[in-house]
Amino acid sequence: MLRRRGSIAFFLSLSLFIVVLFYVIPLVLTVYVSFTPMKNWNVPRYIGEFISIKNYQRLIHLLKFDPDTRNVVITTIVFVLFTLTINVLGGLALALATYFIDEKLSATYQVLWLLPRMTPVAVYSLLWYYFFHPTTLGILNSILMALHIIKSPIDLGMDPALMPWGAWSVIVFVNGLVGVSYGMIILYSAFKSIPRELIIASRVDGATTWHIIRKILIPLSKWHITFVTVWQLLSLLTSYAHTFLLVEWRIVDSSWGQPWALYVFNTAFVGAKDQGLAAAAAVILSIIGILLGVLTLKVLGYERMMTEPKGDI
Amino acid sequence: MSRGWGIVIALVMVLSALAGCVGGGGGGAIEIPKLTGDFTTDVINLGKFFASQGVDTIKYTVWGAGDPNSIMRVYGIIEAANRINKIFEENNINVKITVDKHWEDSFSTLYSDFLSAVPQGTNGDFFVNSYVYIANLAEEGYILDITEYANKYSSLLNDFYTPLLDAAKYKGKYYGIPQDTEARPLYIRKDVAEDMGWDLTGLAEKVKNGEFTWYDVYKKAKEAVENGYANWGVIHRKGSAHPDLIQFIFAFGGKLYDEGTGKLVVDKEALYKWFTVEYTMAQNGLIPKDMMSWDWGQQIHPTVVGEKDNPANTLFYIGGTWQWAEWQTKAYYKDPKTGESRPLTPQEVNEKMYYTLFPAGEPGKQPVTLSQPFMWMIASNAGKDNPKYDELKDAYHELAFLMIVAASDSEINAIHSVISGHVPVRKAATALLNDPNWIQKLTNLQLDLSSDVLNAIKDIIQKTADPINIKFLANVSYMLDYTHFAPSHPYYPRLADILKDAIDKVLRGSMTPEDAVNYVVQKVEADPDLKDNTEIVGEIPKSWHFP
Repeated sequence: MLRRRGSIAFFLSLSLFIVVLFYVIPLVLTVYVSFTPMKNWNVPRYIGEFISIKNYQRLIHLLKFDPDTRNVVITTIVFVLFTLTINVLGGLALALATYFIDEKLSATYQVLWLLPRMTPVAVYSLLWYYFFHPTTLGILNSILMALHIIKSPIDLGMDPALMPWGAWSVIVFVNGLVGVSYGMIILYSAFKSIPRELIIASRVDGATTWHIIRKILIPLSKWHITFVTVWQLLSLLTSYAHTFLLVEWRIVDSSWGQPWALYVFNTAFVGAKDQGLAAAAAVILSIIGILLGVLTLKVLGYERMMTEPKGDI
Repeated sequence: MSRGWGIVIALVMVLSALAGCVGGGGGGAIEIPKLTGDFTTDVINLGKFFASQGVDTIKYTVWGAGDPNSIMRVYGIIEAANRINKIFEENNINVKITVDKHWEDSFSTLYSDFLSAVPQGTNGDFFVNSYVYIANLAEEGYILDITEYANKYSSLLNDFYTPLLDAAKYKGKYYGIPQDTEARPLYIRKDVAEDMGWDLTGLAEKVKNGEFTWYDVYKKAKEAVENGYANWGVIHRKGSAHPDLIQFIFAFGGKLYDEGTGKLVVDKEALYKWFTVEYTMAQNGLIPKDMMSWDWGQQIHPTVVGEKDNPANTLFYIGGTWQWAEWQTKAYYKDPKTGESRPLTPQEVNEKMYYTLFPAGEPGKQPVTLSQPFMWMIASNAGKDNPKYDELKDAYHELAFLMIVAASDSEINAIHSVISGHVPVRKAATALLNDPNWIQKLTNLQLDLSSDVLNAIKDIIQKTADPINIKFLANVSYMLDYTHFAPSHPYYPRLADILKDAIDKVLRGSMTPEDAVNYVVQKVEADPDLKDNTEIVGEIPKSWHFP
């Protein structure tokens, strides 16, 4: 018994060490920095200076009076909701599509959808840069012009007449495509783990594909869908890399294309380099992330998933 | 006290004494030679000192930024090291300085990199960048206060133009030595004007007298575009309102800084007029609506020097003197005969470009230009990569200062001016530009430069050392009498960022000029720190019209 406990403690301590080193300490440091006037990377000068909640007050002041900071909040809500929908429903649709087709074809299809994830962020963003480029160089403009839908090139992510939906559609589309493969892989694996007998039996009983999806595949993959939803939600709250490049390359309007995570990055490392304010914004983002994560798990019944099954196995 | 404790205390005392002997070079503090103000003496004194400390190699890194022709900003430091090494060698001092260089096209990117690198100790020891960053860098303690050293070299400083020396100061202390400066002319394409039948003779004088204003620029730009002489009426910089576009504020009689209160100024009337000019031009297709997103190398310069529809051309360009030289070394011009892109020759640049001051915004106001002197700055941790840094820090700083003294040599400054289209910062350098013998030496590459530096810049010299360019520099020097400087204030970069966003929105038409002024005010007031450091003055004029 003691030996077993020792092994458990050993394995737990390793993971605990990693969690503390890479998650807890950075979080504590971020909280700490949010109470300092840290800026311009001047750690030695500001690290010991405590300014209470001034950074949080500044942030609230900015949210009240700065139109661009207000736009950040609205953009974050729209970005997360729409991209999450694409990620989860798109992932589900792709998993279903690949589940029902020939295995070899399915593998090729999945690899194609994984390409955005395998491609370096800069390269992938560059592809979208040329796709949305506001001149005839842009693939989207070339297609729309060839189809006579538009007469002259449009600047979808920047044209004031198309704001804010133009900018939002670009960032949602790009990030949606990146995230959709994740849901596809998880849900495809979930479908594959469902005993084939169930599917065959339902077919014998005359079930249509739609019935199989609705009555077997989705109900039996409920926890996987829950996991994908929560995971993607938290990822989207903190993701900024692709969006950063699109804003930087002036494909997306900086005011309407900046979710909260990108705002944190820009405040800390671009422009004012106000790391204290950025830390305060990051702390708020973390709190929102934790609350949303817990709330989503509650709503989707995570507790029931983790409850030990009744009866003997 | 036990016997054991007595032995321990005795041992500690003996070891402490020994440590004192080893670390303190015989028990006394290290005496670092003080600068005397005589360059050669100071170099020799420091060289001997380093040799006595067992330091035989001293490594520095220089970080510089700018257009491709301005590489003397880093090679000046390399040349300085070579000259000091030569003095060491002549005096049998076994010490050698080596210099690594790092170059960035964008001076604002280099500034960002520098900010993040200093706390990690990965920054350059020399930082050659705009004076506008001095305030913030000095506040953070990232650059060295060189007042004490500079005072020893007052005879050298007296040769610099006074306004430039003032720009090197923050709160009365020197944080740099001027490296170069420039003017920002309004370029006018002579060939387009000729096609329009517009005689440019005497225009520079009219601009100087305030008789040709932005109202006239608008009229001519409209005429050129509407009649098909040019693709665009006006082209200007991308990405930032600072420094080129803030000339509008001064041209409309506004200001950005209040000397009395030491605060930044948001002048609503001047901002409104600036925004209105750009808004009107962009809405009428005279300035590209996405001007702030254009690419320098792919779009802006090829249009500024280009032919109509090949790829495009413009009548006016809000540019800088350095670009006169840049057009001669970078392949921006798409030659209609060959279809290939190539640099222009000095003659071609001269045939294409007329230049004037930045015109007054409206009748009754003054023409302006804006200078952004670059400075040789020394990082506060300069010499950090060398042996015994903590003990010898002051000596490394002194040597770094001597290097910027050497880099400020009048010949280095004059060479930089010719090859990069910048205006000399020293009277002695101006004198060289007026000396035909020296020009001849420059053209023949008979320069007192070390071979590695000469090799690095000889291609640029061969393309740019032309009497036309020398004459250009002489012709634009009067503009410095009309020059303005952006504020040397730690919060100015934040305000400049807001102005950038505002003008982008104005050009794109997502905000009217009035909305944009209110946006700037709102942004300033939403940032408590910026608000405390900024005065908002004036009102949006009700009965003012443009054009």
